[in-house]
Amino acid sequence: MKFFVLILKNLRRNKLRTILTALAVTVMVTICAEMMTIIFWVHKHVQTQASQSKLLVSERWVAPSCIPARYLSLLTHQEGVEDWTLWDLYTGFLDASRQRSRQGFGLATRPDNLIRMHAGLEKLDPAAVEALKREKTGAILSADIMRQMSWQIGQQFTVLSSSHPNKDLRFKIVGVLPPGEYTRNFFFRSDYFEEGTGNKETITCVWLRLRDAETAHRVAARIQEQFQRRQPELKVETESAGVARFVNREQAILSIIELVVSILVIDMVIVLSNSISVATRERKVEMAVLKVLGFEPLAIMVLVIGEAMLIGAISGLAGTALAWLISTLAVRDFLPAARATRIFFTFPIGAEMILWGTLIGALVGFAGSVVPAWNARKVKVSDVFAKIA
Amino acid sequence: MTAKSLIVVDDVAKEYTRGSERIAVLSGVDLEIAAADFVALIGPSGSGKTTLLNLIAGLDRPTRGRVFFDGLEISKLDETRLARWRTNAVGFVFQFFHLIPVLTAYENVELPLLLLNLSVRRRREQVLRVLDLVGLSHRLRHRPGQLSGGEQQRVGIARALVTDPKLIVADEPTGDLDSVKSVEILDLLQSLQQGLNKTILLVTHDPVAAARARRVLRIDKGVLVEDRNDPPNRVFSRDPQGSELSALSCGPRLNETLHDE
Repeated sequence: MKFFVLILKNLRRNKLRTILTALAVTVMVTICAEMMTIIFWVHKHVQTQASQSKLLVSERWVAPSCIPARYLSLLTHQEGVEDWTLWDLYTGFLDASRQRSRQGFGLATRPDNLIRMHAGLEKLDPAAVEALKREKTGAILSADIMRQMSWQIGQQFTVLSSSHPNKDLRFKIVGVLPPGEYTRNFFFRSDYFEEGTGNKETITCVWLRLRDAETAHRVAARIQEQFQRRQPELKVETESAGVARFVNREQAILSIIELVVSILVIDMVIVLSNSISVATRERKVEMAVLKVLGFEPLAIMVLVIGEAMLIGAISGLAGTALAWLISTLAVRDFLPAARATRIFFTFPIGAEMILWGTLIGALVGFAGSVVPAWNARKVKVSDVFAKIA
Repeated sequence: MTAKSLIVVDDVAKEYTRGSERIAVLSGVDLEIAAADFVALIGPSGSGKTTLLNLIAGLDRPTRGRVFFDGLEISKLDETRLARWRTNAVGFVFQFFHLIPVLTAYENVELPLLLLNLSVRRRREQVLRVLDLVGLSHRLRHRPGQLSGGEQQRVGIARALVTDPKLIVADEPTGDLDSVKSVEILDLLQSLQQGLNKTILLVTHDPVAAARARRVLRIDKGVLVEDRNDPPNRVFSRDPQGSELSALSCGPRLNETLHDE
């Protein structure tokens, strides 16, 4: 700690070089943070979904799925089923322009357990759910749709149905979905769907929540067996299996992202190492003076490494804070341009990532300064002064 | 070795290897320096005076022979122990000052104290005392670039004094100064030697500077060729510190502050 002032002042010695080095590392940390967030998000999502032990039951062989409504009772009364909901898909255009960009994907479902049964709705305002229970024509829309259509809560709108011709439904907006999972969707009541479309015979799919993963596998096997010889046949898969399928499909992209992150980290180490090497070479005489004054070789190393770790930590902090800021603004729709990229920035970065960024930056600084610090500790006092003289 | 010897150099030789060639810089030097003496080491360029200084100050190790400081054989110490020993035992004054340009005068002087187990308050007291001693109390917050050559060398001297070492080694301390500033610096060194009983080893080309010493050693081709005990030709050209010099002799010794931590 006593050396901190010296380390800090050394950074101010060549301000331009320090700023450029820090900027380079900051930009790389920002990109790394965004990329790592994608990787973390996917892995976390797989784990979360796996732990939820939910089953998705849909019709095998046919898309969109069409399950007879009479199956519902058989499915939901399986032993081990703790909760259930259904989806009826209802798609259409949100205005008369009938442009693809103005399509909405409605999910008719049970309002009473809406939050419990849907991942990503944990932050949904319970008041919106209560309003949906009261208002039969109520709909809870994604923030994307609300922004695009400039709609307000309480307003009414009509969906020009493409999935159910001549069955256009009119809705009243009672709430907005939290950002993240559902971008072009809206939820509404299944009884209104049945009444409005007249479709009481089929449902799109059923979600079952089981006690645990083991029960989920057992129930899935039992349903497969029970419905094997029925027409239509059913397909049962765990939600984690669905996510895992996505992950497998995108594994190549994730591997590329991991590779790019690794290359960026190596780049950061090289940039910092180069900068610190130049700085220590320029200060060879000073290092010798410090040795003369009694600084032990280890103390010289601490000074050099401390300098690099400080740049790394500051850059890491700035880089991840910047990534967090962009991500937060994008998710909250303050940065539509960033959100339009869809790949980056739509994955929310947690505030804890800033701490990780700072730590990783400091570690990059350490890795980049070990060699220059080792060279600095070996400075031979008599050689340096002989050259000066 | 006499009882009062602070430094004993016993049959010291130093060789350097350049490629396949071995270059003998010092050959069989024997020397004793008494405590509180003012010794000038003179000789032509390449004669080996800086090498001898480095060996005495623990910056290098001899190829042969032994160097003792206050009874401790420093030529046997490893690099880490030598560094610790230097902090406490030796103060260095350089020709080119070698101050850290980003640090203020205060911070430059404080540097060696960071290596000792002293409280912030003690460090501050010590730094202010030595800066006052060299007449730079009013320049504490100035960086080397904002100081004249003479002032920079005073900061260098204050840094050498701040750990209260027994030995001050000064390698051409006036080599980068004009004649007026040189006189001031030599006056200061002489006053410190007398006021604080420091042993001063001065390496110089300058006969005027050497004339300030009580003892002059001439080295040539790695061998001591002359050892002359002379009274200094004058004590002070002028009193550089005024009343502060008096304070030196009657005030508390620096080591009373440092060594009771």
